Amino acid sequence: MSSETQNAPKVHVAVDEIRLAQPFSILLTVCDDVAVSEVRVDAIMPAHQHGLNYAPKITALGDRVFRADNMLFHMPGLWELRVDTNFGGRSISYTSDVVLK
Amino acid sequence: MKVLVTAAFVVLAGAVHAEVLLSDDEIQQTLSFGPWPISFQSDPSNRVSNDTRAIALGAALFNDPVLSVDGAFTCASCHDPEQAFTTSDARAFGRVQLDRNTPSLRNLAGLRWYGWGGKSDSLWAASLHPIIEEHEMAHSKESLKTAVSESSYIDEFEAIFGDIQIQDPELVLVNTAKTLSAYLETLATGRTQFDDFRDALENQDLAAAANYPEAAQRGFQLFIGRGNCVLCHNGPRFSNNEFHDAGVPYFLSETEVDDGRFGGLNFLLSNAYTLDGNWSDDPEKQGAWVVRSVRRSHSDFGTFRTPSLRGVAETAPYMHDGSLIDLDAVIRHYSEIDTERLHADGEAILSELNLSEQEIADLAAFLESLSKAP
Repeated sequence: MSSETQNAPKVHVAVDEIRLAQPFSILLTVCDDVAVSEVRVDAIMPAHQHGLNYAPKITALGDRVFRADNMLFHMPGLWELRVDTNFGGRSISYTSDVVLK
Repeated sequence: MKVLVTAAFVVLAGAVHAEVLLSDDEIQQTLSFGPWPISFQSDPSNRVSNDTRAIALGAALFNDPVLSVDGAFTCASCHDPEQAFTTSDARAFGRVQLDRNTPSLRNLAGLRWYGWGGKSDSLWAASLHPIIEEHEMAHSKESLKTAVSESSYIDEFEAIFGDIQIQDPELVLVNTAKTLSAYLETLATGRTQFDDFRDALENQDLAAAANYPEAAQRGFQLFIGRGNCVLCHNGPRFSNNEFHDAGVPYFLSETEVDDGRFGGLNFLLSNAYTLDGNWSDDPEKQGAWVVRSVRRSHSDFGTFRTPSLRGVAETAPYMHDGSLIDLDAVIRHYSEIDTERLHADGEAILSELNLSEQEIADLAAFLESLSKAP
C-alpha cells in the first residue's frame, strides 16, 4: 500500500478474491519492526461519493498481521482501500486502489 | 404477395448474419451474471429450511386465510402465484392501501436483506412481520396460536414442531414463519434466453450465443455500459441487494414520506427477529455479521433495495411505490431522470442518459429476455 508520509513503515495487503456484493476479508501485514497500536480499515468509491455499507471488523493475528473481515464492495468500479494506523503515537494513512469488474 | 416475400427474405437474411456484438471485455462481464440457477443452500438460521414437511405446510398456509386474524386474506391475496407472486396494483391493498408495491417472492433464498427497506435480514423474519402487521394479516401472537391450533393443519404443524399447547405463542409465530420461509425458498425463476446466451459465451460457442437477439445484445451493452444499470443490478440475480436512491419521489402524501432504508434499519435494529437474535437456529450465527456491522447514515433516507431483474417483465408496475406502469416507463425514468430529486449528499451514480428511441427499445428487449424461456 502507498502512503504520503515519508519513511512510513511498509504495509502489505493480501486478498484472495473479491466477489462483487459478497463479503471478503483482507490480510494486512506491517512489514517493518514497529509497534502497532491501532489499525482501521475503510474504503470509498471516489467517483460515486460513497463508502462501505458495513464496518470492517479488525482482528490482530500477532506479528504485526491483522485481518479485516466483513468487507463488501457492493458496486463495480474503482474502490480506494484506506488503512489508518498508529505506530506509537504516529498516525499514518495508506491507500490502495482496487478495480472491481 | 411480393411485399411479403421481400419481408421474409429480409428476416432470413438477418438471421443468417446474426452475430455476437459484444467485445471481449463485455463477454467477460457477461459471465458474472450467472450461472443460473444458483445452487441452493439451506438457511442455517431456520431448522426447517429444505424440510419437505415444512415446505408443504408453508405452501398450504401461504394459500390459506388462517394466517389473517379475521380470515379475510391469504398471503397469496397480494402475492398471487398466478401473477409472479405479486399483483398488478401499484400499491398493495390489504386492510388499507399500503405504502409500497408488492414485491415478487421469487429467488429469495439466501439474500442479505428482505423488503424494500430491508427491515429483515432473514426470509423467516420477512415472512413473520406481515402476519402481525396491523394493516396486513393483523394477528396477535396469541390469536395466531389459537388459529393454528384450531386449523386443519394442526397435525402437520405438530409433526414438525411438537405439541403446540406447550409452545409459547411467540414460538408458534416464529415456527409458522419458518414454514412459510421453507416454502418461499423453493420459488425461483427458470432459465432464460439470457442464460443460454451467457452460458454459450462461457463455452466459447459463438454460434449458439448468436441466437440471442441483437436488440437484446445491444440493450445488454447499454445495461453494462453507458446506462450504468450494472452498478446496482449485478450478479446472477441482477441485484446487489443493497439500497439506493432511484430518484423516485418518496412522498406518500403532502405530509407523509416513505423513509425507506432509514426506517427499515430502525425497525431491524429494534426487533428480536434478526440473525443475531435468540430466534435464529444457527448456533454459529453465521449471517449475524450483517446486522452487527451495518452502517447507518442519514442518506439512507428514501433509499430502497435494488430489486432483482429476473422475471422482471412479469411484475409490473415498478419501483417501490409502483408508480411506473411498464418497463418502457422505467427506462424513460432513468433516461430523463430529474437529478434534483436525488439525495444531495447521497451517492453520485445517476445522471440523465438521454437515450434514443432505438436504445430504449433495445434495453426493453434485453430486460424482457430475462423473463423469456430459452
